Amino acid sequence: MNNRLRVLRAERSWSQQDLADRLGVSRQSVNAIETGRYDPSLPLAFTIADVFGLPIEAIFSRD
Amino acid sequence: MDKATSSSRRSPWFWAGNYLASSAIIVVLKLTDAITAPVAMILFLGAMGLLIPLVRASERGDCVNPVIIRYNRRFLIASFGYVLGLGIAIAVWNSYKLTGATVFALALLPTLPTFGMIWAMGRYLVEETDEYLRYRMVRAALMSLGLVLAIGIFWGFLEMFELVPHVWSWWVLPVWAVGLGIAQVVMKVRGE
Repeated sequence: MNNRLRVLRAERSWSQQDLADRLGVSRQSVNAIETGRYDPSLPLAFTIADVFGLPIEAIFSRD
Repeated sequence: MDKATSSSRRSPWFWAGNYLASSAIIVVLKLTDAITAPVAMILFLGAMGLLIPLVRASERGDCVNPVIIRYNRRFLIASFGYVLGLGIAIAVWNSYKLTGATVFALALLPTLPTFGMIWAMGRYLVEETDEYLRYRMVRAALMSLGLVLAIGIFWGFLEMFELVPHVWSWWVLPVWAVGLGIAQVVMKVRGE
């Protein structure tokens, strides 16, 4: 699965730790999702969408 | 900076290195018969004291996971209980001629703390709210379990055909713990 996490984060000048704090997860989690090493669960994907104020499909897409 | 502050600021690797070096020296001394088993056990208990600053050093920082802190503390207490229980059990076993229920109780001394270690691992998985960290731990545990099964089955048949000596079955826990470490390295190398 592809995602635009890094771009969206950069647009808001958030560090990985900033985003992790907003999501309530570790910085490692954000890094793993950004680099495509880990696909988040549906609940976490919804939380990510809420944090960015975007629909899930605007953040995640299929390969 | 005073001495106490300097000591409390050392990295976890410093204490881990000291602990491993101390343990290695004790093992060498015991293997060369320079010290007796009870002395080795007492020295090893002392060396385990280095795990306290190790755990404390790993708890410093702004982003320390409280679940990891609880896991480390539980595991440390269980480890102390294990070494102490094992030491007492071996000392009593060597000093008295015991049978039946007493031997059963004696075997429980080192066994119960290892149950504590397993419980601590289980609680970590229950309490960890970060799904990625939980996924990594579950994955490492499964990889390690695979290692234990593979070694156990292979050794069992080698033993059945009298090619290797009998090994007490408590080896599963230390091998599983080593397997957890190997799994973490494998996942790191594979970029997982």
